[in-house]
Amino acid sequence: MNVSFTSRLRGRDITAWALVVAAAFLAVAPFLLPGYDTSLLTKTLIFALFAAAFNLLYGYTGLLSFGHAMFIAASGYTVAKVIQVVAPALHFDSTFGGVSPLATWVLAVVLGVLVAGIIAVFIGYLSVRLEEIYFAIITLAFSMAIFVIAQQDTIGALMGDTFTNGSDGLTFVMGDVNLFGFQFKLVDLLDPVAYYFLTLIVFALGMYALWRIVRSPFGMACQAIRENPERASALGINVRYHQWMAFIVSGLFSGLAGAIFIPLQMNVNPDYAHWTFSAEPVIMTVIGGPYTFLGPVIGAFTYEYLRDAISNFAILEQYWQFSFGVLLLVVVLFFNNGVAGGLQWLVARIEEVRDGENS
Amino acid sequence: MPFDSRRDAEGESDTTFPVSRRGVLSAAGAGATMSLAGCSMLGGGGGSDTIKIGGVYLLSGLAEALGAGSAAAAKLAVKDINDNGGINGKDVEIQVRDHGKDPQGQMRSLVQEWGADAMIGLTSSGVTLNSGPTIEQLGVPFTLTDIGTPYVTEHDTDKYGDYYNGDGKAAGVPNLFRTNSNTSHMTYAIAKFISENYGGSGTLRIANIGPDYAYGQQCWTYVQAYLDGLGVDYEVVASEFPELGASNMTPQINSVLSGDPDLVFTSFWAGDTVTFTSQAAEQGLFEQVDDVFDTIGADPTNFAALGDTMPEGVHYSGWYWPGSYGTEADQNFIDMYKNEYEGSSEVSVAYPTFTGGSTWAAVKIYKAVMENTGGTNSDDLISEMEGFTYEEDPRGSVTIDPDSHQASASCVIGTSSRDVDVPYDGVGQANPKTYKLDRSTALDLLEGSGLPPGM
Repeated sequence: MNVSFTSRLRGRDITAWALVVAAAFLAVAPFLLPGYDTSLLTKTLIFALFAAAFNLLYGYTGLLSFGHAMFIAASGYTVAKVIQVVAPALHFDSTFGGVSPLATWVLAVVLGVLVAGIIAVFIGYLSVRLEEIYFAIITLAFSMAIFVIAQQDTIGALMGDTFTNGSDGLTFVMGDVNLFGFQFKLVDLLDPVAYYFLTLIVFALGMYALWRIVRSPFGMACQAIRENPERASALGINVRYHQWMAFIVSGLFSGLAGAIFIPLQMNVNPDYAHWTFSAEPVIMTVIGGPYTFLGPVIGAFTYEYLRDAISNFAILEQYWQFSFGVLLLVVVLFFNNGVAGGLQWLVARIEEVRDGENS
Repeated sequence: MPFDSRRDAEGESDTTFPVSRRGVLSAAGAGATMSLAGCSMLGGGGGSDTIKIGGVYLLSGLAEALGAGSAAAAKLAVKDINDNGGINGKDVEIQVRDHGKDPQGQMRSLVQEWGADAMIGLTSSGVTLNSGPTIEQLGVPFTLTDIGTPYVTEHDTDKYGDYYNGDGKAAGVPNLFRTNSNTSHMTYAIAKFISENYGGSGTLRIANIGPDYAYGQQCWTYVQAYLDGLGVDYEVVASEFPELGASNMTPQINSVLSGDPDLVFTSFWAGDTVTFTSQAAEQGLFEQVDDVFDTIGADPTNFAALGDTMPEGVHYSGWYWPGSYGTEADQNFIDMYKNEYEGSSEVSVAYPTFTGGSTWAAVKIYKAVMENTGGTNSDDLISEMEGFTYEEDPRGSVTIDPDSHQASASCVIGTSSRDVDVPYDGVGQANPKTYKLDRSTALDLLEGSGLPPGM
C-alpha cells in the first residue's frame, strides 16, 4: 500500500474505499452467501482472471485473440489427467495422506499452467506474425484444431486407447481433504468455502502479478505497440518479440484460470476449446472496457451475474439468449469503454457535483 | 462510438495507484459484486407450501424441439397432478431451463437457489456423464427422461471400471434414475428386428451413418455387439459419421451408397434426422436399400417436418410412440396433450413426442413416491424409487430396477406409413412393436464386447 493510497483513504476517495469494501466483501463473502452464490462468485473470479489475462493481449497489446479457449482446454485436460492418472500413479494417497487432494490440486495447477505456457510459446510464435483480423483468425484456427484433436480423441487413437475421451470429455471427483482433524470435500457444491478461498488466493496473486506486468516497462512497451506499432518500432522496441512475450504471458495466466476452473466444474470436454468459449473473455472485456486494468473484471462480473439474474426470471430465461443479447447491445452502444467507461462517467459527474457544492 | 482508445490510452500512462478514473472501476467491482450477488439471491429458498420440480433440457439449437416436447409433457403431468389435488395436498411447481453453456450451473441454480425437491432432464448423454458428480452432490432425486448412454445406469465398477476414475464405463450415481430405454436397449431392438426380419438370407451388407460424437459412435458399437450376440451373419460395408448438426451430409450418404448396403443403420436425432432423411431421399438411398433404421428418429416432430419427403416402409424407432400400447393411460395422455397444446406455440406438433412417455412417467413417479413417503426427503424418495412399479405409465407398467435405477420401459419400432391417423401432414408408425430387455439377456448377448448393459 503506497502513500498515494493511504492519502486517498484519508481523503475519503471513493475509489480507495471501494477497494477496501470490495476486498472486505470478498474475504467474508462465503460466510454471508449461500452455497450456490459462493460458487457463482468463485466462477466469476476465475473468469475475471481469464478476461484480465486475455486483455493483456487485447486491450494492452492490441491483438484480438479469438482462440484463448485453447489455454483453458490445454490446462484443463492436464488437470484432469493429473487427477485421474498422474497423482494415483505417484501414490499421492499414501505420500500425502489426508491432504492428497490438495497436493494433487497444486501439482495439477502447476502442470496445467506449464502446458498452457508451452502451447502459448509455439502458437504465439506463429500467430504474432499476423496482425488484426488475420491474427484473430489464426488464433481461432489453432483453438479449433485443439477442439478437433480433443473431440476426435486423436491422441487416444495414436496410442490405441482413450485419452481425451472424445466428446464426453473427462469427469472426475476431487476427493476429501483431512486437514488438522477437519474433513471436507475440496470442491463441495453445498458448502464451497474451501475452494472459494483457494480461488481467491490464486485470483489475488494472479491479478497483482498482471497489474505489475502492465505497469512494468514491458507493459508500457505493449501499450506503445497497441497505439502505433511503427512508431514503437522506430523507438527501438522489438514489436514482434514483445507481442510474442505478451501472448505467452497471457497464455500462462489464462492457463492458470483454466487450472482452477476445471476442478470447480469437475469436468473438461472439447467445448472448452471451442470458439464459442473463446468468445466469453472477448465479450466480458468488451462489456467491461478493454482500456482499463479492471475493465475485464467488471465485465466478468456483469456477464456472470446478468446471466444468473436472467435465469431467476422465467420469462427472461425462456428467451435468455435474446434477453442477454439486448442487455449487451445496450452496454456496447451506449457506454463509452464498456461498463467501466459508464461508471467512470457517472463518478466524474458525482465528483463534479461534489466539487461544485464544496466550492 | 463505443470506445475512445486514444483518450483512455493517455489515462493509462499514469503509474500511480488508481487515479480516480481508473479507481472508479474498483467501486464498480464492489458495487456489481454486492448488488448482483444480492440480485442472484432473490430467487433463493424453496418454500414448504409447494412441491418444486426442476427440469433441464436442451431448449435451443439443434434439439430445441426435442427439449420443448419433453418440457411440454412434464408441464402437462404437473397440470394433471394439480388438477387432481396436488401432492400431499400441496400444489406442484415446475421450472424448466435450457442446458445453455453451463448445464451444471442450471441444475445447481434450480436445486440450490430455487429449491427444487426433485429434478428431471436431460437432452445430452455427454452432459449427463459430465454432470454425475454434480448430481450426486446435489443429492435430490434426478430422473433422466431423454438420455441414451447406458453408462449412467451401470453400477458394476468391478466388471466395467469406474467412469469417474477415468478407467471404465460404469457411471452410475446413487440419486440418478432413468425412465426411457437406453442405447443398449434401443440397439438390441434394432438388432433383434434385423435378426427376425432379415436374418438367415446370406451375409447382410450393413452400413452405418450417425452423428460424429459419443452417442453416434456408441450406438454403432452396441448394435454390432448385439448383432454378433444374436448370431446375425453380416458385414460392414461403410461407416460414416457426419458432424453433429451438419447441414450437408451428401458426401457421407454417397459413401454409404457406394458400399451397396442392404440395410442402413443410423442414430440421428432431432434436426439431424430431418437433414439425413431429406438428403438421403434426394440421393435415392431409400430406393437402393432394403431398409433403414434410426435409433431415436421416430418422432412426430421429425415426421411433420419431413412431410412427404419421409419415405414409407422404413423402420425408425423411439422411446415412445403414441398409441402403441393399447393402454387407457396412453390414450388419456394423448388426449390431454392434444387438448393442452392444440394451437400452442410451445410445441411444433400437438402430439406427444418420443420423449413424452418417459417424461410424463418421471413426474408421475415423483408424485407417487412423495405420497408414499409423505414428504420430499431426498433419501426417502430415492429409497422408495428403487424397485418402485408405476402401473399407470402410458407405455404399460414399468418398474425401476433397484440396482441400476433403469426403468423397465419398452422401446418401439414401427413401419413408416401415410395410412396412420396422425394430427399433422406426414407419416406415422404402422404396426408398432414394443421390445423389452432384461439384464441377464443383455449380459449374454454382450458377452465379450466389454460393453455394459446399463440396466
